[in-house]
Amino acid sequence: MIDSGQKIIPMLIVCGVLLLFVVAGLLYKTREGSEYGLAGRYTGRIGGGAAIASNWMSAASFLGIAGIIYLYGYSALAYVIGWTGGYVLLLVLLAGQLRRFGKYTAPDFIGERYESPTARFLSAGISIIITIIYSMAQFKGIGMIFAWLLAIEYREGVLIGAAVLMGYIILSGVMGVAKSQKLQYFVLIVTFILPLMLLAYKLGYFWILPQFGYGQGMTDLSREFGINIASPFSQFGLFQWTALCFTLMFGTVGLPHVLSRFYTVSNVRDARWSVAWGLFFIALIYWSAPAYAVFGRLIEARSGIFLSPEAAHQMADIVVLRTALLGGLPLWIVGMLAAGAVSAAFFTVAGLLMTGASSISYDIYYRIINPQASESQRMTIAKGATLLLAFVVMLGALNPPGLIAEIAAVAFALAGNTIFPAFLLGIWWSETNKSGVISGMLVGLFITFSQPLLGSFIPFVNILFPLTASALCGAPIVITVMIVVSLFTKPPSEKIRRFLAEEVHGEIR
Amino acid sequence: MNSSDKKYRVNLFRPQSVGMKGEVVAILTVLAVWGIAPFGFQLWLALSAGAAGKSPLESITFFNLPFHYWFTAQMLPLCFIIICVLFNLFVDRLTLRQSGKKEGYHD
Repeated sequence: MIDSGQKIIPMLIVCGVLLLFVVAGLLYKTREGSEYGLAGRYTGRIGGGAAIASNWMSAASFLGIAGIIYLYGYSALAYVIGWTGGYVLLLVLLAGQLRRFGKYTAPDFIGERYESPTARFLSAGISIIITIIYSMAQFKGIGMIFAWLLAIEYREGVLIGAAVLMGYIILSGVMGVAKSQKLQYFVLIVTFILPLMLLAYKLGYFWILPQFGYGQGMTDLSREFGINIASPFSQFGLFQWTALCFTLMFGTVGLPHVLSRFYTVSNVRDARWSVAWGLFFIALIYWSAPAYAVFGRLIEARSGIFLSPEAAHQMADIVVLRTALLGGLPLWIVGMLAAGAVSAAFFTVAGLLMTGASSISYDIYYRIINPQASESQRMTIAKGATLLLAFVVMLGALNPPGLIAEIAAVAFALAGNTIFPAFLLGIWWSETNKSGVISGMLVGLFITFSQPLLGSFIPFVNILFPLTASALCGAPIVITVMIVVSLFTKPPSEKIRRFLAEEVHGEIR
Repeated sequence: MNSSDKKYRVNLFRPQSVGMKGEVVAILTVLAVWGIAPFGFQLWLALSAGAAGKSPLESITFFNLPFHYWFTAQMLPLCFIIICVLFNLFVDRLTLRQSGKKEGYHD
């Protein structure tokens, strides 16, 4: 990895930060007792924005973006645009309307809106697949950081990280620790930007706003070493870039744990404004992340380290930590960065696993298999499901199929091809019915995985539906399928259309 | 299709109520900017590349960064925030105006 030897100080800081969240969570303990997994208190617009941002920040934002920019330069900015632009779509098309619709999870919305247990079951299944893929990306980050902290192999890092994570989830559950999302966001942003300012200062760039200061670093890198990070389309062409960018945007709108955020806000206006604040808080991280990539390249080049492409690919996802170390920052600062990354990944996985587990216990077990199930039976199923999901994710992460950002992008593509069209039409076209949505989601599921399934027989599929970027072409096809099938089958009941027209979209006069 | 089927219809492109009409105009405007800004700029960047494969946009420096890089990495996310704020301000005004006509303010 980066260097050998256990890191006592960073380890203590990581443990300390995690402990801080447990203590803060216990102080907040006046939480509402909703269904397993959905937590969060109303905290106003800015607080709501911080909650949206901390819910969003994961290892993909904290480690993945810098890693992929380090490798692909300008081309990787598709991730930055895709992961911010999605919120525009979410705000104008869904935020307020979903708040008025008043359903808590993606399968719940789809089940109620389309009045179909089959659609609920299908969307619950898809949510679970999304959870597994997205968590796998997080586990890769967790594994890499634990491997570095303990000076062990990556796979051992995944195993130990998973054990610590499960311990943390169980401990928080037993003690009833509430999530304090404002504090989470604050810790994430400070642990990410403070080391960056120090790096910029050490390198002699404009450190007060390293988001602009790194520009000089780019110029130096290109002048001294001929490495031009800003060269456009070096990695992907225009079409690929656009496909990736829009896939990530559609996927943002379809991610179940992102959609679930709107129900904890007290009214529609605050729901809308908290999205705008949330986007600003998210952008703060994304404006800064490329600086780590640029500084990383520059420090490497200046110390005469030129990695082979394979070696660079291997360590890209931990470039944030590596840059801080190579840049000679004190170990406790590097420990802070590691603590930020670990908490971003932990909270995301904890949230995702709980959403996934509640899909299994509520949407599948209670609503479909055993409607007589008692509260405690459902809780048992949810707990078992959490463990099972974590185990599946851990197995997948032992052999990570790509970079953190790339793995996460597959989850976005799936969400963009299935849940996004179901929500979009569900809110904006009252004639969409259950046959339409079911056939559409099945087509979307197939399109998402068409490259690994068919790519070797039909080369065209590789261009139109690449695994990480299938939703630009996929989502419109799915929407068309939903519309056509809906037109030829029985329209939805008057009850639900009336609810949409009167409650969700205001009164018709 | 009988008359009750036609009664409660929601279609983004055929808004029924006055409030929804205003909202839909705002939505479509924001979506136009949202779609054109990122894609249009990349298209411009790709098309403006000269024989050597380098676009003049790469040679201009802005805030210490090459212009095309600055625009994509920093301006586009800012642009998204700005259109979100404008959309919210517009919808706030719309709801306020509507609630003036109706009896109570509910949201």
